Amino acid sequence: MNALRLSASRVAGIAANTFRETVRQRFVPVLSSAAAALVVVGSWLGDCSLGAPPTKLLLDAGFGALTFFGAVVAIVAAAESFYGEIERRSVLAVLAKPVRRGEFLLGKLLGVSGLLLAFCAVGTGLLIGLVGWRHTASGNPLAVEASALQRASIAAVVSCGFVQWLRCSLLSAMTLLVSTYARSSLLAMAAGFAGLAICSVRCLACDAFQTAGSGWARGLVQFLGCLVPDFDLYDVADGVAGGGSLSAGYLAGIALYSACYGGVFVALAVHAFRHREL
Amino acid sequence: MNAVEFDRVTKSFRPGLLAAPFHALQGISFGIGEGEVVGLLGANGSGKSTLLKIILGLLAPTSGRCRIFDRPPGCAEARIDVGYLPESPEFYPFLTGNELVRHFARLAGLDGASREDRSREAIARVGMETDAVRRVGAYSRGMKQRIGLAQALVTNPRLVILDEPTANLDPEGAEDIAEIVRGIRRRGGTVLLSSHNLGQIEDLCTRVVVLNRGRLVASGTVSELTQPFCGDTCVVESLPAESLPALRAWIERHGARLRAGRCGRKTALENAYLAAARGGGPDEEGFP
Repeated sequence: MNALRLSASRVAGIAANTFRETVRQRFVPVLSSAAAALVVVGSWLGDCSLGAPPTKLLLDAGFGALTFFGAVVAIVAAAESFYGEIERRSVLAVLAKPVRRGEFLLGKLLGVSGLLLAFCAVGTGLLIGLVGWRHTASGNPLAVEASALQRASIAAVVSCGFVQWLRCSLLSAMTLLVSTYARSSLLAMAAGFAGLAICSVRCLACDAFQTAGSGWARGLVQFLGCLVPDFDLYDVADGVAGGGSLSAGYLAGIALYSACYGGVFVALAVHAFRHREL
Repeated sequence: MNAVEFDRVTKSFRPGLLAAPFHALQGISFGIGEGEVVGLLGANGSGKSTLLKIILGLLAPTSGRCRIFDRPPGCAEARIDVGYLPESPEFYPFLTGNELVRHFARLAGLDGASREDRSREAIARVGMETDAVRRVGAYSRGMKQRIGLAQALVTNPRLVILDEPTANLDPEGAEDIAEIVRGIRRRGGTVLLSSHNLGQIEDLCTRVVVLNRGRLVASGTVSELTQPFCGDTCVVESLPAESLPALRAWIERHGARLRAGRCGRKTALENAYLAAARGGGPDEEGFP
């Protein structure tokens, strides 16, 4: 029990340090500002909408920014925080303490996930604030309640932000896995973006082979498809912007799905890192 | 029980799939007793850092066995008793010295009040009390070395491993580090010190281990290693230049020889090290 408490304390220490480190990286304010600018621009685009509800356009632009810039932050932060430790040699001092390599990697992942949580929370908060402000500015102070964000509820927007956070955290786990093999942060980042592309088109590829491919090709693609998470499952922004909501069952399911894939990625990363010579 | 025990340790790296393996360490066997201050000498690429990393469990030996306090180095529990200062450390620049030492104390398993007390004590030991409130990013190289030493000493470890602790330091900074090592020695701690500073090794270490191209080429106390270079040698101080021919004639009459030199020439340990590394003896590599 005491060993478990000490292990949790070490992981928490590394996570807190990673969070403090990544939040100070220069790319974080740059990408956050770009995402915020896109959200704000999206709110003005609503005025130029031809037929589509302005709130939908705003939410589409906002979630698009959150998804794209969140993915970039996830990949860059995971690779930089891992290679930063190696290049500074601080990893040697850390692992010379009674810290297991698994604890080190878990701490890194939790720290980057903390950064992504802050990123998604601020982005979602900004989005809700802008939608509310636009309704209030339009002369109806109760519009947020009355129109329930013009069909999209606050709860659904928050849930959508949560789903984007899960997706980004999974992406950072995948990048950490690649980092334990790769010899440079640039290579790890490139592999992270390649992974993002594969996970995003996985569903399309499976569908295409399901209809056109031969029996063994279908089986092979199904098998390969299982090796990477399906990021289509996280694409709920369109439904939420259109006024839909996310059920508790879906949220629990997607959290479990992310935890399973994340657990496998972390386990593989720990295995690779144990055999990596520092 | 030895603090560190190496038994025929070999470490090979394969630079590429088809490349021939490179032997960083070959059949290294030696032990470090508790309370010893051992100097690890060797040229760049001789295998010093590989040896230190094996002790810390950061690398696994290809063959042979290494033990720290009779435990395998890969086991996290074995590292509770070890403090390590890497070569030219660049710690987290956004943390203050206090925060950095507390962070490492937490990783070492110290909690609550003991973490605070030990951190304060370690910072005091390296003389960084006033500067520990500043961020590490603003530290000079000497201060980084000192705060690195503080994180290594925060658990009062039984074994302290220092990798080039005085590299790139000015003489004053190097002397400060040496004084800290003397303090560890006075408290009965075991120190393994890897350095190119032979004068400092001679001054601080009770024993010296010399590596050359991955092989252990010499091991012994400083006096054992330097004896062949000091035996039958007399030092004449402040001899007026005009007296030198008379002294030389007198010495040669007695079947000895005189080699005059100025102050600042190689120390005995330097000669011993060079002889061991090059495989020669005092005749080939004696005083100039």
